[in-house]
This record gives sequence, C-alpha cells and structure tokens, in this order.
Amino acid sequence: MKHKEEGWGWMLAVDFFFAGMGGGMLLIAGIADFLLGEGNTSVLGNFLGAFCIAIGACFLILELGRPLQAWRVFMNPRAILTFGAWTMTIAIGAGLIYASFGLKMLPWSDWVILRKLMALGCIVTGLIVATYPGVLLGRHKSRPFWNGPGMIVLFLFSSLVTGGAAHILSAAILPAYYPGGLSGLPLMVALLLGFQLIFWVGYLWVKISGTTEREAKAARKWLKGNFSGKFIYGFLLIGTLLPLVLLLFPGTGVIALGAFLALLGGLLMRLLVVYSGEDRTWLPGEECYRARLPLGTEEFLKAWNTK
Amino acid sequence: MARYALVIDSRRCIGCHSCTVACRVHNDLPIDMIYNPVTTVGPTGVFPNVHMVHIPLLCMHCANPPCVDACPSAASQQRPDGIVWVDEKKCVGCKACVMACPYGARIPNHEKGTVQKCDFCKERIDEGLRPHCVETCHQKARIFGDLDDENSEVYKLVHGEHSIRLLKELGTDPYVFYIYGWEV
Amino acid sequence: MKKVDLEQEGIEIKKACCYFCHQNCGVLVYVKDGKIIHFEGDPDHPTNTGGLCCRGNVNLIHLDHPARVNYPLKRKGERGAGEWERISWDQALDEIAAKLAAIRDQFGSEAVATAGGTQRTDDWARRRFMNLFGSPNGFHNSHLCWIPTFMVETAIYGWCPFEIDLGLSRCIVLWGQNPGASTMPEMSAISLLKSQGLKVIVIDPRYTETAAKADLWLPLRPGSDLALALAWLHVIIYEGLCDYTFIEENCVGFDELTLHVEQYTPEWAAPLTWLTPDQIREGARMYAMNRPGNIQWGVAVDQLGKPAGSAMHARALLRAITGNLDCPGADLLTGPSPDFITDEEMELNEYLPEEQRAKQIGSDRYKLVTWPGYSRIAELTKKYWGKAPTAEWMCEAHPPSVFKAILSQEPYPVKALLVSATNPVNSYGESKQVLEALRTVDFLVTCDYWLTPTAMLSDYVLPIAGSFERPTITSTYGCSDFLLTSQRAIQPMYERRTDFEFWRDLGLKLGQGEHWPWETLEDAYLSRIEPLGYGVESYDEFVEYYRYHFPEREYYKYKEKGGFATPSGKIELYSSTLKELGYSPLPEYIPPVENEIDNPELAEEYPLVLTTGGGVMPFHHSEHFQIKELRFLRHEPYMEINPATAAKLSIEDGDWVWIETKRGRIKQKANLTEGIRPGVVYTQRGWWYPERDMRDPELGGCLESNTNVLTSVADEDCDPLSGTWANKGLLCRVYKAYDSDRKEDN
Repeated sequence: MKHKEEGWGWMLAVDFFFAGMGGGMLLIAGIADFLLGEGNTSVLGNFLGAFCIAIGACFLILELGRPLQAWRVFMNPRAILTFGAWTMTIAIGAGLIYASFGLKMLPWSDWVILRKLMALGCIVTGLIVATYPGVLLGRHKSRPFWNGPGMIVLFLFSSLVTGGAAHILSAAILPAYYPGGLSGLPLMVALLLGFQLIFWVGYLWVKISGTTEREAKAARKWLKGNFSGKFIYGFLLIGTLLPLVLLLFPGTGVIALGAFLALLGGLLMRLLVVYSGEDRTWLPGEECYRARLPLGTEEFLKAWNTK
Repeated sequence: MARYALVIDSRRCIGCHSCTVACRVHNDLPIDMIYNPVTTVGPTGVFPNVHMVHIPLLCMHCANPPCVDACPSAASQQRPDGIVWVDEKKCVGCKACVMACPYGARIPNHEKGTVQKCDFCKERIDEGLRPHCVETCHQKARIFGDLDDENSEVYKLVHGEHSIRLLKELGTDPYVFYIYGWEV
Repeated sequence: MKKVDLEQEGIEIKKACCYFCHQNCGVLVYVKDGKIIHFEGDPDHPTNTGGLCCRGNVNLIHLDHPARVNYPLKRKGERGAGEWERISWDQALDEIAAKLAAIRDQFGSEAVATAGGTQRTDDWARRRFMNLFGSPNGFHNSHLCWIPTFMVETAIYGWCPFEIDLGLSRCIVLWGQNPGASTMPEMSAISLLKSQGLKVIVIDPRYTETAAKADLWLPLRPGSDLALALAWLHVIIYEGLCDYTFIEENCVGFDELTLHVEQYTPEWAAPLTWLTPDQIREGARMYAMNRPGNIQWGVAVDQLGKPAGSAMHARALLRAITGNLDCPGADLLTGPSPDFITDEEMELNEYLPEEQRAKQIGSDRYKLVTWPGYSRIAELTKKYWGKAPTAEWMCEAHPPSVFKAILSQEPYPVKALLVSATNPVNSYGESKQVLEALRTVDFLVTCDYWLTPTAMLSDYVLPIAGSFERPTITSTYGCSDFLLTSQRAIQPMYERRTDFEFWRDLGLKLGQGEHWPWETLEDAYLSRIEPLGYGVESYDEFVEYYRYHFPEREYYKYKEKGGFATPSGKIELYSSTLKELGYSPLPEYIPPVENEIDNPELAEEYPLVLTTGGGVMPFHHSEHFQIKELRFLRHEPYMEINPATAAKLSIEDGDWVWIETKRGRIKQKANLTEGIRPGVVYTQRGWWYPERDMRDPELGGCLESNTNVLTSVADEDCDPLSGTWANKGLLCRVYKAYDSDRKEDN
C-alpha cells in the first residue's frame, strides 16, 4: 500500500517473458521453414512456441482485476493492449496449426501452401508478439525508464534470445527431423546475447545522460540503486555474459545450460523492467506525501472493523 | 457544449485535505483510495527565507487522455464535455490506464478488481451541482466551471491570471489549471 | 458513487451545525424517517458559506462509529480494567447523585470538581448545577485558550475586543494563531482580503500554513512574545506612531507607559526574541502605520505560562495606543448582548455562597480568572454593560491545582471529578501528574463520545449526544452580541443524551428541581432568545426562519456610553484593576519559563527550545484519532526540527525521536523542515492511539506521544494573573529513538 497507485506486477512480467519467448520461437520456426524448409526445428519447440504465448496470455488474464471479464480486452481498437491481444490470439492459432504439420499422421501434413502460409503467419505474429511489449512500455510518457523507442529493441532481442534458447532446449529433448539444419542456432543466440549486452549498456548510458533528470534518476537505480544487484549480477553476468560463453562451447549439456541461463536472464529482465515502471514522473511534493501514508499493516486500519 | 475545467488557486489553498476527505466520504471509497491528494512543496529555501505551496492533485481530465487510449476494454471514456470516466461494468482491471496516466489519477480498487478515478462527480454536474471537492473547499481555492463560457470564473482565471498546467510537455493537454503565487 | 435521491418524498432538511470545533459551521442535513441520508455544508451560512473541513466531512462516520459509547456504563472490575456493565440512565444518575451527596456530607460540596474541554458543551448548565450544588471547583483548560486574554483585556478596556472588523481593516496581526490549520472560515476571509491589499503579519516560531501566506513572518523564539510586545510598544511610542488624539481623549496612564517602555528597545528585545531589531521595527511599523488594523487573538500567548499575563497586557496596550479600538476596521468592543439571555444569566452565580467562592482552588494565588478578579470585573461590566462575562470559563478553579489537590489533599480533599467533553490525560498540562490524579480520585464520572483513556479509568461513563444530535447556540463563550443557532437533525441515537440533560437530570436527583424548568435543550434555548422579539413559537422555528441574530454594527460605543467599563471610565494603560488585585499595573518583563539566559545549566542539559500545542488538521485537540478516514492522512505524530539541528543529532527525516524535558519524554517522528529555526522544536498535540489496548496501564499509549508530558504546571511556571501554565518556551533535548526503547511506560 506504499504507493496508492499500484501498477503492473510480476504476472505481467511473466506474461511478457512467455509471450516474448513464444513469439521468438514462432519467428525462428517460421524463418527456418522459409529458408531451410520443413523439419529443421523440433516439433516440440514448434508447439511450445504457441503454448508459451498461451501461458503468457493466462498470466495476463490472472493479472487482471476481473479475470472473468478478460474477453473485454479485445474491445478497443485504439488500445495497444487490444492489438496485442488479437495478435497473440492469431499467433497461438498460427503456431498450433504450423506445429501440427510436424505430426505426420494428420491429413493436412503435406499441404505445403497452407504450411508456408502458417509459417508466414508465425513470422509476422511472432515478430509482433516479440516486439509489442517494447512498444507498449516505450509509449508511457510518464514512466521515465520505459519511455522511448529503445525498449522495442531490448524486447525484440530478449525475445529472440529466449526463443532461440527454448528451441535449443526443445531440440535437446526432441530432436528435429533434420537436426543439422539449425546447428548454428547456439552461435546465433550467443551473438544475440552479445548484442543484448551492448544494447543494455547503451540504453542505460543514453538514459543516464538523458534528456530529463527523472530519466537519469530512473536509470541510475539500475546501476547504484535497489535494482543494481539483480541487474548486474543476475541479468548481465549470469543471464547474459555467462550463457554467451557457454553457448560457444561444444557439447549439448553445456549449451543446454547456457540456453537455460539465457531464459532465466530473460525472465529477470522482464521483472526488472516491469517493476521499474513504478517510478512515475512524480508531481511536486507527491513522493513525500505518499511516503507518509500508512503501509497498510497499521493497527488503526484493522481496529473497529465491524463488518 | 460545455468543456469542464478546474482551476486551483494555490494562493488560497492551505493544504487542509478537506477535498480529499469529502471526496472519499461522498464517493464511498475504500480507505486506501485517494482520488485527490494534496501535496505540500516545501518549505523550500533556507530558514527564514522559505516558501511553501500546497498542490491538490486529481484527474486532469486531459483533452488528450493517455488513459483512454490505453484502455483495451473501452471502459475508459471521455464525454464531449471533457469528463474522463470509467464504465465500471466494462473495466477488466488491466491497469493499463494506471500505468498510462502521468498524474497518478487512476487507482485500482482491490475490492472490486476495477480501476476507478475522479469523474468530477459527473452525476452532480449533470444536475447542475459542483463536484464535492469544490463544494467543500471553504478556502474557495477550487474553482470549477465551463471553459467554453467566456463569462465563467474559470475562463476569466485561466485567461486573466498566470496559470500553469502540470506536465503539459507530455502533450496531454490537461484541463486542471494551477495559479501559483510564484513558480515552484 | 453513492447516489442519494434528495428529491424523494418525506425528506426534511434540517439546519444543523458541525460540532467538531466551536466554529459550528452550518450544515444542511437531509433526514428521512429519523435517519440521516445526506448532508452538506450550508451555502447560506455566514460562517462557512457551504465549505466544510476534513472533520466536517466525517460527521456521519462519527455519528455511528463502532467505537462510540452508546449506553450508560458502570465499572465492573478493577478501575481501568475495561469491564463494564450496561445500566439505565436512571440507575446511573441515582447512583452518581447518591455518591455526590455522600461526598458533600462528608467533605463539603467543594470536594466535587468538574473538568471540561473545549466550548462544545452547554456549560452554563454545568455551572448552574455546580452553583446549586455549592462547589466553586469547576474548570476547563480554558486557561490555555483565550480566557486569560479576555480578562486582562476587560481589565484594561472594559471588554475584550474579540470581534474583528476585518472587512475594513488594512493590517492584521496573527499573534500565535494559525487559522490555516484551525479556523478555516477566518483563513478564507484573510486570503480574500489579502488579495485586496490587507497586510498580514504572522508571529509564530513555525512557518505555518498561515505564515506561508503572510506579508511578514516573525519567527520569534518560542515563549518570547512578551519581549516582542514590549519592543513594539517602544517602537510605536518612541517613533511617534501613536494615535495621540485617541490617547488624549480615551486613555489614562500614557506617561507612565512611555516611561515604562523606554528600556524595552528593539535592541534589548533582539537577543530575547532571536529576531533582528529591524524585523521588530518592521512589524511594529506595519501594524501602527496601516490603520485601522487588528490584532487577532491566538492561543499562543495564553499558553506562555509565567509571562502570559504580562504579554497579554502589553499586546492589549498596542491596540489602545494606536487607536485600533472600536472604530471601523479595528477590534470592536461590542460588549455582551443586551438583547438575548447570555450564558452568564443562565448560570445562577448568585446561588454560590460567598464562603464557597472563597474556597475556589487556586483563587488565593491566581486572582484574575477566579472569584476575586472575576467579581471585580463583573461588577464593573454590569454597571457599564448591564451584564457580566460568562463565569463558567472566566471564573474557574485552577486546573493543575485541582489535580494536585486530589493527590495531596491540599488545601482540602477533592473526592469526586465529573469530566465532560475532555480527556484530561492528553489535554491538561503535565500528563503524568494528571493521570496519577485520575487514578487516585475516589469517584470519577466521564461524559464522552468515546472510551478515552480518562473514560477508561472512570466509575461511570455516560453516552453523550454529538454533532447533528443536539441543538446549538454559537455565541463566543456567551460573550458576543450576536448569536447563531442550529437545530438537531435527529434525536440522539441509542441512549445518548446531551450534556445539558446530564446536568439537569443530576440536578433533579439532588433536589434542584425548581431551578430546571426546561425539559429540553430547545426549551432552554427558546427562553434565551425570546427577548430578541422575533415572536417565534419554538426554537426550531427561529432556526428555520432566522438562523442567526446579528445586531446592527455600532462603532465608537464608548462615545455614546461615556467611556469604558473600567474604574476610571477610560482605557487604563496603567491598570487600576490589576493594581487593585495586587498585580503590576504596567506590563513588566518576565522571561520565558525556561531559557538559556537565566538558567544556563538547564540549557546545557536541554539545549533546544520547545513549542507545543499547535493544531494539526484533521485532528482537534485529542479528538478524531479513531476516524480512519482522517487518521489515514496523518497516521503518526510528527515533530518539527530544522535539518541543521537534526544533522547534528544524527536524526534523519522520518526517524522516531524522543523529545525530553525535565518532566518526561515522548516520542514522535522527525519532520525535517526549514520552516523552523535551528535549535527550535515543535511537537504535535493530542496524540494517543485508540486502536491499542485501552486498559490500564496501556491506556491507548496515552503518554507515549503526548506533548503534555513535556509541559509545565509548576506554580513558579504559571502566570501569576491567571494561573495559565507553560506550553511554550520550554527547554528540551531530542535524540533518536531506537526500536528497543520505543515504548514508554505509562
């Protein structure tokens, strides 16, 4: 109850994580299909892509104050959340249908045109699902850490990293028909992790020397404030740098560990980013006012409750 | 068509919180929901050369409200007279508006699972009355009226005094105007 | 939104008032079938014109709060154990009456004392009861609130010029008053008039809500008001800023005063007040050169302790030498109402025998607001105005001395204390001693809305009707020439009764029947307003059709009446009345009760200067801590300290700190603010924690953050004129409270 205005919590971060990962998986599967043809990604991974988006959607629904009314989020064409909801729905459909081509017992498994169409659908919707949280957050004018186009890149890269890592893990469990096709994936993910590292350093640098004091203040929190430990050691070192190195080693076990750490890093990043949105651009005197309100556990709040 | 606005005369506000309490009591809000806090800036400076000003905050009923755009369920709406309100039946509690509002004017109601906000007491406005916070302000520091009406007090104050708007640079075009005795 | 249909059938709109402070703001209450369905500020009421403060807005929450006392309660277990038996009013009154009669028989009627709080009771009824019962020992904490000022000023000009004619004024001095946190309607008027050119001077150690709007803020050392007032007198006289015609025609003793204040230069006052000589001169000039002007009364000067009487005296003289009296725009000497029956006329003071008057506790030492001074002043005012000031308030036992008498049996035993509308543990000085007295007194009865710490220690607790449940006449302690009236919106809920009914019914049980002709409070009120000649059939009719009575404003009453209500018929700058009572006829300098100049050893031990007592919205004295809607906004007590001082003490904003004087320590949270001088500390008043265990000894933590633990009621710290005790200008020390020592034993 510290700040009366309570915003998004961990469930939305988890939604962003799963949806981003799923989007990345669809995107990778779709591209692989177009460039290399069918069977280069694990069927498990193809299904997981759609499932992850669905899991993300579930968390999104749980985040709502009135989950049973969730269908209403499709109602405002001007709202980016509505756009996201539709895209996720389509992505889940496209992903499932596409993945079903991997189950050879189904009658449509050799309808190539439909498969290509679905792969295209996966690419487009996967890309949007992977990117749109960045757009959503970046448009928040009064959340100094989010505001700006940079978030789009950070989310896209993280989605690609986690999507790629998830494909690596899926393939480790259930290899693709043509296991050699995507043998370069660990290298690609490592490369993306490197890019991610550079983008994060750049993002914070720009924010700290940013246009407004409030942006700088919000960004400093990541290096010196209460976010710094989780960010530097958790995300940058364990979630980015370490998997980058591990993914360059040969050996399925080491690579799988790297992929797993990359997933953890992605999750941690979503959590940190979402929570950083608590810092609004405070209005004059507002921080002091809110700091002196009760936390919600005070005795007087519980006394005289007759109901 | 009217375009409702609120002028806050900080020269008169004494930070007594009457508006906060009146709003909560009449709108029957849970204890932790405050639509209209009153903050205090200062005393700034060094004793004895100090300044202090009280800033009542509330929904700015922006002409370009980010919360309405952000609402996926179209529960957040703006009336032609400028009043931004939430249709509680449609609200799913996604808090997109909470995050989108630069003024902290959107508050989740944990009992109902929805998000609520100041609606200028629109039922009262429709009956020709003034919002509760304005009615209760014994310092006459809150002036409510129709900014399209050249004879209204708000029109005269907005056009006659040096008034400012909070976070105007964000392009929200807020319709709550503050008259300060000095700059903060 | 809670939607109430106000157009529905059967709704009555009652013209009631808010009863949470004595502004009594007008409220329209919508009642249907005896139930309140809506209320709002009355836009036509002259006091608040529709506005309501935080407290006003919680009226309905207060009305049926789960913690309210709704039935007469009789103690079952040990005192303070919190075990109660619900009894009938009749039983309660029978038993209380029997006990009081027994005490009277054994110890004399003076062994029964009554304690009151703010003026939100019909205390003429209490006085009437006490006079008929034969005890002179009723009291309030009115010593801290205007009453000494009233009597000092009446001694000098023959009435207290409390009616300020602000509309035509050019300058107002708010001397230790913060209407921005206490009297909202006044603040509204000041803000409006200031925008039209009114000069506003605020004298306050704190940069208050009001100081923030002032033209000139004089942050004096707490307790040094007297030095400032004397220096202002010096500046105005020696810079020739007096109204010489007014002095010539209306004052005596100007030469004596001129000689007397020669020594009190701004340079003399500067080290005492911690203001610069220029600041002092600027204030004096602003007041004297912007005529007509007002000096608004504030409680601060009443609360200085020893220098209080002299400070009121000096302040009163400022008006006289500048001619700011009874002329348009100045402070008006309206006198009591000649038209309606005043509070004093309801009190039956003539029934209290002389020998009982002589027994009034404290009247041997503090003569001005006890029978010796009151009789003299009442005699003068009766001759001149035809009426006397209200004796309840203006003529009372000295409260600290009564608590001491309970403990020491000196000068005689006090065996019973009837408490009405006050929580003495929190509102009277030196709380530890008060608490001990409450635990000690043989028989304790409390009339209240809540089970306060005091009520918890009582033998009987009686449920009192509050806001909206009682009619109200507002007439400035019965001393104004106008009155405002309000009606009950509903009959009292549950078994609550008004305090008038309590005193009347108790009187009936004690054989006072013939003196209580009115069955209801409305009947009593009707008899009071009948002489106004509105020809109304009932009190409610007056409220509905007239609501208030404001006589036409007359200026220069003294011209027509041939002078002032003093022995010489003039304004006595050299006061013969005070001289007659054995006090200095001119204001002598008396230093703050505890200060670094006279007592450097104490200052070494307690290096900071303390001011207590300032009001904080949304609370009122020790009230409203149960109302969550209000408490939420300020749920913890905050003391104020300058960041430079705090830094030296390693105290950070929001830390719990101990504030300690010779008498004890309390803890509050630190609010670091540049709005207070380095070396000065302010504590919030009233704090207790009704949400905690209310049983003795915890008693809702009533000593833990209670500023009155710090104040002083020692005889040598009290004002010799009035006996008012020291809330300001005390020495203290402040240090951080760690978790382990957060709790103080009661």
